[in-house]
Amino acid sequence: MSIIPFNHTMAAHCESGAVTAQLNFHGLKITEPLVFGISSGLFFAYMKPPMMDFPMFVTRSMPGQIFGKFSKRTGVKFIRKTYKDPKEAENDLNALLDKNIPVSVQTDLFFMDYFPAWFRVHVNMHYVNIIGREGNKYFVSDSYYPEIAEIERDALMKARFAGGTMAPKGLMFYPVNVPEKIDMGNLIIKGIKATTFDMLKIPLPFLGVKGIRRFADKIVEWPRYAKDNEQLADKVLRIFILLEEQGTGGGGFRFVYASFLQESAKVLNNPRLNELSKEMLGIGDKWRELALAASKVSRSGEITREKLIGLGTLIREKADLEEVFFTRLRKEILNHK
Amino acid sequence: MKEQDLKVDFKEQQIILYAEKEDGSVSPVQTGSYISKNFIGDFYDYTAKINYEMTEKLKSGEISPICFFMTIEELTVAELASRAGLSKLKVRKHLNLKGFRKASVSDLVKYADSFNIPVANFFQLIKTREDKKWDPGYRNDLEKTESVMISQTNTNNPLIVETKIFHNTK
Repeated sequence: MSIIPFNHTMAAHCESGAVTAQLNFHGLKITEPLVFGISSGLFFAYMKPPMMDFPMFVTRSMPGQIFGKFSKRTGVKFIRKTYKDPKEAENDLNALLDKNIPVSVQTDLFFMDYFPAWFRVHVNMHYVNIIGREGNKYFVSDSYYPEIAEIERDALMKARFAGGTMAPKGLMFYPVNVPEKIDMGNLIIKGIKATTFDMLKIPLPFLGVKGIRRFADKIVEWPRYAKDNEQLADKVLRIFILLEEQGTGGGGFRFVYASFLQESAKVLNNPRLNELSKEMLGIGDKWRELALAASKVSRSGEITREKLIGLGTLIREKADLEEVFFTRLRKEILNHK
Repeated sequence: MKEQDLKVDFKEQQIILYAEKEDGSVSPVQTGSYISKNFIGDFYDYTAKINYEMTEKLKSGEISPICFFMTIEELTVAELASRAGLSKLKVRKHLNLKGFRKASVSDLVKYADSFNIPVANFFQLIKTREDKKWDPGYRNDLEKTESVMISQTNTNNPLIVETKIFHNTK
């Protein structure tokens, strides 16, 4: 048996959790909120892609961007590789593990069979760290699982080479060079500037604060996409899941961001960021209220237009709050000396 | 959100939430999943309903096995086509029985791999309580009941699955 001595901890989000654990393993002591904030992970988008039957919303940046932006901004060098040949991907993974190098891989969550059945859906953007192997099984440090998990070789191969939207293509990455000195203050400023830009300045109607408003306006149209009330109830319940439980740390990542601002206040010696952190906590609470309201609506029998208008009103309130908040945060960070 | 407000007792699914602690810090808290604890019954009811409806349609010949598995695994035509490496047009044709009859064996292997099921399951309806991998409606509590169990194990031949039927004495 070969398990690399790796400090397994759960994390709010799989990608920021996997990157944080890797960095800690390689000697850079950093928290998940700092990784998330520096890589400007907070975001909002509402859209109805043609290949999907139902509209969707996201509260974070594109999968893979946390790792990519963190690497670019900090200078931490990662080896990143995708594969056409699964056998080659397997051989490379095994060779690295045999050298005691933990490896982050992208997977389809559906095949990670240590999770209960109700949790496993086809989502190609689940990141885990592989930290050892024995015979036909691998040891997995998964941010969503309390212990080190085990997975059979066949299941891991299927997970790494599932097709479909954002197919993993065997993606693996691991840090090879962590700079001795990192200017955390400068990185925090870059991260906050990017997040406030993303939330306020992108001139597209479905992104950032404008995206939240679009969500508020469009939720009344959801019955058009549902085949019956039960399916609609299931989709409305997923508002709760996407905001609270699908790896967001609660409140659609707003609590993680509050934690990031709290840490930033210390690093930048700027108490006003502490105040903004408290404000973000309040906004996170409002997102949680929306999540709970959605769960109640989903269980309330027939989902009427009035109920959806009610949810829309709650969503619009978040847009107004976040527009004010991110404007203040942007001003604060642009004026930071 | 305060730490004490989000504690949920549900050890089957743990998650990390961030909350304000007594010392004023905003940091991670490990807790049970609220949604799993409170809505798991709804999930099973909904899954069971979809399974039942689709099974009836499958038995009556209204839909093909491809449509059956695509629906219960919540895949769209575009997503399934991309996963199986087939055109969307082809997948659409295979969703009804007439089109399914014309599907090649190699197409079926691609579909089976995408659904993570044996090819044989396109041609039979069986209850697989033992193996979580192949039953989206799997329930732990059913496993604990004394019953006939059916399990399926892959062989090295991608077209052949070994199906075992035995008495569960748990």
